[in-house]
Amino acid sequence: MKAHWIALACCLSLPALAETEHPLLPGYAAQARQADPAFAGFSAERGKALYFAEAQRDGKPMSCTTCHTTDPRQAGKTPARRKVEPLAPVANPERFTDLKQVEKWFRRNCDDVFARECTAQEKGDFISWITGLK
Amino acid sequence: MKPIAALATLAGLALAMTLAGFSLADDDEHHGRNGYKRPKRLAVPSGAPLVWKEECAACHMLYTPGLLPADAWREQMRTLGDHYGSNASLDPAQERVILDFLVRASAANRLPMEPSPTAGEPPRISQTRWFERKHDEVSEAKFAREAVGGRFNCVACHRDAEKGDFDEDRVKIPR
Repeated sequence: MKAHWIALACCLSLPALAETEHPLLPGYAAQARQADPAFAGFSAERGKALYFAEAQRDGKPMSCTTCHTTDPRQAGKTPARRKVEPLAPVANPERFTDLKQVEKWFRRNCDDVFARECTAQEKGDFISWITGLK
Repeated sequence: MKPIAALATLAGLALAMTLAGFSLADDDEHHGRNGYKRPKRLAVPSGAPLVWKEECAACHMLYTPGLLPADAWREQMRTLGDHYGSNASLDPAQERVILDFLVRASAANRLPMEPSPTAGEPPRISQTRWFERKHDEVSEAKFAREAVGGRFNCVACHRDAEKGDFDEDRVKIPR
């Protein structure tokens, strides 16, 4: 009987394991706290809003979706017609595993879309959203 | 009767030109005389660094180094922060490896660097004189076709362009 309870407890703890924080988030949280002592955590909802936020570039609307499509689980296309593998780790597990790569693409793509760097808060919000997509 | 006569004249003329050594399709011959030919050595040399392939081909087709002279590549790599409107900057160590390769691999291209007519932009392969001559029979409408996309997309018509194969006999313009 006791063994049954232990087995049940193990099953119950699995979903909790799946929700552990993404490995890149603590670093961004530390940066965000340094930038703003009132930092109150990341929000997947704000991350999603960033993905769809539209800016004007050379008179044309631009957003992350311009290349990554409105569904980041799908492949996209660069302006020069190169295939972009899906951005969401659920469809492409290599994404958001290498900090150098992540930083490179945030640096360039935030500049391309918003003509500025993204903040640590924005990066953490975004990672919270994209890595949680099913 | 008249159209047939015209056709016969035209055929005769074409034959005469062929016999005289002219070719209607290939304009290398008579443009070559002023010493300005398209770059000849276009195959990608062996030992190309992985970082060149991975980084350049992440966003666009892999342009073989022989397509531009070394000075044009220097200009490309110097301005990666604004690469035709996109931020394509890399970490300095990677930029160094890529530039060294491009300079070495384009050594056979001794053409002068031709600046882009658009101010502040690095040189464009598609705006070199040889490119325009080689494509003067390709209409604007063909370049604009959905399946082509524009002058930047060599691979649309030159299937093996990324290997440096631009053989005219293998050109296929998609519908």
